[in-house]
Amino acid sequence: MLPVLNNADSLAYFWPEMILTAGAMGVFLFDLAVAKSPRRILWLTVASLGVLAAAALATSHVAGLSPTPIGLFNGLLVLDPWAVFFKYLSWAVTALAILIAGPSLEVASERMGEYCALLLAVAVGMSLMASSTDMLMMVIGVELVSMVSYALAGFKKHDRKSSEAALKYVVYGGVASGMMLFGMSYLYGLLGTTNLVGTAARMNAQAAMLAQAGVAASVAGAGRVAMVVAVVLVLSGVGYKIASVPWHMWCPDVYEGAPTPFTAFLSVGPKAAGFALAVRILYGAMSVSGGADLATAVADVPWPQVVGVIAGLTMTVGNFAALNQTNLKRMLAYSSIAHAGYILMGVAAASETGSQSVALYLVVYLFMNLGAFLVVGIVGRLSGSESIFEYRGLSARAPFAAVAFAVFLFSLTGLPPLAGFVGKFHLFKALVDRGGSWQITLAIVGLLNSAVSLYYYARIVKAMFLDKPHTEERIAVPASYNLLLGALVGLVLVFGVYFDGLRQLAGSSVVLFGHS
Amino acid sequence: MDLLCHVRDFVLAAAEGAGEAAKHGEGAAREAALGVQAFKRVGYLWLIPFFPMVGAIVNAVVGARLQKRFGKSVVTNLAIGAMAAAFVTAAVAFVDLVGQPEHERLLVNHLWNMFTAGDVQANLTFALDPLSMMMVLIITFIGALIHVYSVGYMAEDPDTWRFFAYLNLFVFSMLLLVMGDNFVLMFFGWEGVGLCSYLLIGFWYKDIDKAKAAVKAFVTNRIGDFGFVLGLFLLFWALGGQWEKRSVIPPHESRWALADPAHLYEARAEAGTTYVADPTLSPQTPPATYAEVEKLATPEGWRPGASIATRDGGKVRVGPTLSFRELRDQIAVESTGVKNRLTGLTFFGMPLLALVGILLFVGATAKSAQIPLYVWLPDAMAGPTPVSALIHAATMVTAGVYMVARLNFLFALSTTAMTVIACTGAATALFAASIGFVQNDIKKVLAYSTVSQLGFMFIGVGVGAYWAGTYHLLTHAFFKACLFLGSGSVILGCHHEQDMRKMGGLKKYMPLTEKTYLYACIAISGFPLANGFFSKDEILWKAFDAGNNLADPALGKVIWLVGWVTALGTAFYMWRSYYLTFTGEYRGGHGAHESGDAHGHHGGLPHESPRSMTWVLAALAVGCFLTIFLGLWGPAGVEPVLERWLEPVLAPSHALVAARGAHEGPLAEWLLMAASVAVAFGGWAAARALYKDAKSTVPATLAAKYPRLHRWVLDKYYVDEAYRKTVLAAIWAGAKACDLFDRVVVDGAVNAAAAVGRFVCDVDGAIDKYLVDGAVNFVADGALGFGRALRRVQTGRLEHYLYAAVAGALAVVLLTFLVQ
Amino acid sequence: MSPSPVGPYLPLAVTLLVSGLMAAALPVLAHFLGPRRASKVKSESFECGSVSEGSARQRFAVKFYVVALLFIVFDIETVFLYPWAVNFKALGWFGYAEVAAFAATLLVGLAYVWKKGALEWET
Repeated sequence: MLPVLNNADSLAYFWPEMILTAGAMGVFLFDLAVAKSPRRILWLTVASLGVLAAAALATSHVAGLSPTPIGLFNGLLVLDPWAVFFKYLSWAVTALAILIAGPSLEVASERMGEYCALLLAVAVGMSLMASSTDMLMMVIGVELVSMVSYALAGFKKHDRKSSEAALKYVVYGGVASGMMLFGMSYLYGLLGTTNLVGTAARMNAQAAMLAQAGVAASVAGAGRVAMVVAVVLVLSGVGYKIASVPWHMWCPDVYEGAPTPFTAFLSVGPKAAGFALAVRILYGAMSVSGGADLATAVADVPWPQVVGVIAGLTMTVGNFAALNQTNLKRMLAYSSIAHAGYILMGVAAASETGSQSVALYLVVYLFMNLGAFLVVGIVGRLSGSESIFEYRGLSARAPFAAVAFAVFLFSLTGLPPLAGFVGKFHLFKALVDRGGSWQITLAIVGLLNSAVSLYYYARIVKAMFLDKPHTEERIAVPASYNLLLGALVGLVLVFGVYFDGLRQLAGSSVVLFGHS
Repeated sequence: MDLLCHVRDFVLAAAEGAGEAAKHGEGAAREAALGVQAFKRVGYLWLIPFFPMVGAIVNAVVGARLQKRFGKSVVTNLAIGAMAAAFVTAAVAFVDLVGQPEHERLLVNHLWNMFTAGDVQANLTFALDPLSMMMVLIITFIGALIHVYSVGYMAEDPDTWRFFAYLNLFVFSMLLLVMGDNFVLMFFGWEGVGLCSYLLIGFWYKDIDKAKAAVKAFVTNRIGDFGFVLGLFLLFWALGGQWEKRSVIPPHESRWALADPAHLYEARAEAGTTYVADPTLSPQTPPATYAEVEKLATPEGWRPGASIATRDGGKVRVGPTLSFRELRDQIAVESTGVKNRLTGLTFFGMPLLALVGILLFVGATAKSAQIPLYVWLPDAMAGPTPVSALIHAATMVTAGVYMVARLNFLFALSTTAMTVIACTGAATALFAASIGFVQNDIKKVLAYSTVSQLGFMFIGVGVGAYWAGTYHLLTHAFFKACLFLGSGSVILGCHHEQDMRKMGGLKKYMPLTEKTYLYACIAISGFPLANGFFSKDEILWKAFDAGNNLADPALGKVIWLVGWVTALGTAFYMWRSYYLTFTGEYRGGHGAHESGDAHGHHGGLPHESPRSMTWVLAALAVGCFLTIFLGLWGPAGVEPVLERWLEPVLAPSHALVAARGAHEGPLAEWLLMAASVAVAFGGWAAARALYKDAKSTVPATLAAKYPRLHRWVLDKYYVDEAYRKTVLAAIWAGAKACDLFDRVVVDGAVNAAAAVGRFVCDVDGAIDKYLVDGAVNFVADGALGFGRALRRVQTGRLEHYLYAAVAGALAVVLLTFLVQ
Repeated sequence: MSPSPVGPYLPLAVTLLVSGLMAAALPVLAHFLGPRRASKVKSESFECGSVSEGSARQRFAVKFYVVALLFIVFDIETVFLYPWAVNFKALGWFGYAEVAAFAATLLVGLAYVWKKGALEWET
């Protein structure tokens, strides 16, 4: 059983979040201090990265405090390798988003402080999401991420698209949260607790009790319907965060309208946190101990199959919708929807290797997707446009960026020897390892989808390398961007070849409460 | 080809039906006079109403086009062909019926069950027994003749197709009325003929008076129908609907009784229940009363659709029914106890059977134009004359008489009802005849004559002389049709002039019409040379002999006297109409239609009608003669043909009525007959003296001397006006109150509902627009490119996204159930 | 009757239906039953007895919203402070520290908006 600490004792394990919270406030104040400085952006970037670095150090510190999972704040949070993994991931995403914001010109210097501080707050939210073991904490985590994201999506105050994105995001997010809360209220009614630990056992007991108590079949049936509705509604909230069908529709509009650095962040950070949550709920809470075999779904709720269908739909919708896009941000939005589908395959596998592949893929995805958005930011920075038109002959105007973009896109397609292939390979492997008929079917659907996705990724590569540019004007790329691009390309290439360490890291992280 | 197959099927079905009937005949033991009605199943009766129905449908749907393309002859030939086919089929049925043993003369053609609700079982079943056979033959024969006549009469009307569609529809409805084996079909027909009557009276609907007459007829009939339906409900109820609270009967089981007692005993023995035998009810003795049947009918005993065994081995189902045959069996077979139960029942202190009879008779007073609901019939003369002949003389108006005769076993049980019917009939007969004295419109005279003659028929069926009433129905159908068609011929010949004062001397111009009219006058006024005498005389004799069939034995004599006086009046006004029309000099203007309208080409003097009309007149006149023999007493007390023919139908009431009769001697009968002849001569003589050749001045003098009386009678005793002042005024007041209620409350509610409805529609529209259309677009464009369609779903409108999210969640919930 | 999974929720459905109908019916009934005699005085907006001036459909300066938001933030701070004050002794220093952190957080926000000029009315 999971040892649980009280509020005061928990604080010792809560350093990363506390540092970030204090850091966010500090950045606010620091912003006021450097308001007059011409190097305001640099100072703020450095300060924020410093906070994140401190948080990372604190994370490694608290991770070493307890070798086994430990419950915090009377069971609201948990500190286990899974949470730690996603904390690192969150800090990394946040750091990259802050790094690329400065030179992007989309964030005005007088608002850089807000941007950084808000992102730090999102980082806290993502951390809470990834480590929550209580439905209330889940809501708080999701809401924290969402609320701040609304503000960040509308960060370009006088940009109509940005305002539209923010408004849509607010309303959609509100409805999604409402649905999730509604489902949670059902679950609470059915199970009598908001704590996720041992949910599967409780659900099974509930079903068994209904069946054995000789209640009318209708009552038992009603209980089952309620349970299914509850689980699906909770999944709606999670699905909204990871942008899976049918809760994906906000995604293209918000991605398109939000400032590019934040879009890059949005496509990875909250999605990763959402997946952390999804795995925690589905694989962690709603599977029986050991989790190796979910042939008989929990309390007759066949969630692996359902998630499998959702995964198939999500990747199909995402890929096909991306086919006709001419706006790169929109295309990448649909691409990110498709990737949510791919990653859901790992969740649907409902196994340790499945969860491992989810974690692994998210790391790879972080590099390649952020990289891709970085290039979009570079091109948009000069031209102010995200149309594919601007990418014609990019190899002549910004050769390094073009090459890097090609690498990221092929990696997103999943071509070897790039990191994307490694990630996808593990996802498919996890699925095929389960060996069921629908798992194999889903894997085939995934493969077909990868083939489809090649079309629109390759279209951009073709435009960049084979089409003539509409202007010969070279695109001036800041050195910091080139540096970053180089680093990301390097990571994508390295992980494409040398992925054992990553796999081990991901594998060792799949230690959730209740699963060892 | 289809038709041939159909005919083949029909023949096969008929053969099968015959086979079944043979088996049935073996199984059903021969009953005594009051046993269960045996019957033969046949498969072709439906054809009789089917042909007119097809004619009506074809003419109604494509008649206008047919008429335009191919001329009127197609339309008319179609209608006449349908009638001819119906008549031929009826004749076949007649031969079939004659071939049956006397007491098994019932052909039943069960088509299907229209609906069953509780005990109410409405079957589409046609039945022909001698009574309805007679009616069907009258309807199809005279109907066919009148169709032929109409060809000439309606030659110049542009809407021929509509007229013939209505006529065929009428015949169809009338056949339903008489051929239906149950109250439901009868009521369908009952309403159907009312509708057709409305349509045909108002055939020239552009004339407001005619339209008003049509509405009047319809509304008056509706009032009667209400009584009819009430009576029907009461009867159904009395037969064991919810009469008493019977908690022992499981509600889902039919209240149909029940095992015969022998079975009852066995069932109990098998069930192992203790049962103390009731010494008064041994298995050999069927229960005597309905109450005892019920006493036996504890839950174990109730078996849906089971029957009571009669003494002689037949089976009777006891309980509420709509079928005439089952009703007859229940009442006729004494051992069921139904008769005792019904006669013993009271409803709020009133004898139930009397109430049922009177209520049903209320329906008859409207349909058959009796006091107080006769007012529509004279107005109905606004319709084309063939319609008056067919509907308002020969067939529809006799429906009430037919209904009483059909239910003779029921009416005979209540002398109260019989008295009411007979007295109403007598009063109507006299009353209408007196109005007929002074009418100048030839059709009005005939209309009041019809009302009067119908009164005679009701005297007949009222005093228990069902066959006599029915016989008068038959003879009246012939001579009154002949008279009406004759008058129609006259009217056409005189260029649509109906006022007899403007006729005269038509003998010269219209010889054939004159001869047939003369013969029909002989018939109606009761000269022994034609059928009218025999039927009227029989009615009057039976009234005189009614005895205890009426509430007071003396009443019969009074009714006889009234009838006798009426007969005098009948002779008088009919001969008056004859002399005014056909003798003397032509008084009409030359060319009533100088204006040159549709009939302008006639011009000048009256002329004989086309052959298609005169031949019909001749045929009817011959019919008037031939039908004498149906009612003629054979040598040595052999009953008349028609009486013998109807005997099986009237058997259930026969003994009862006969037993209550006064049993006057044959001398009295002869004397009365002589009196009848005397009044016929008297009436004729008087009319001849006053009206022949329009020479006498006495009528004018009389009218001048008693202007108020003359006016009073001429204006039909101001009954219409009285109705307007009393009944209609009350209805108007009620209508105004309803109108107020309607406007204030109902409209308010309706508007409120409409507002809600609009709101719902808006919401629905929104859902449709956003959700459904979105989904439809999604699917529809799949072929064009999945990707493009997906892009279109991404409308950019937030509400679509949210709809999709919620709908998607629901879909996932469903999916959860699907994947297992 | 075959067991139906929604059976037990039928009363709920009925309740929803009835309440929905009631909610729909009342305004609709009021709309149709109530007499409506519009007059100039009646159609004016109610201003507590004083004569109304101008339209109510005015655009407000965004600074009102900023102030309103700040007001709500500090209002909620008060809401949190009251229960803490009631249980001050029971919660002790730990509680004091928590509330201090909470208040400090808000204080930072206040300082930030102040410095940013959000409280300046005339800008």
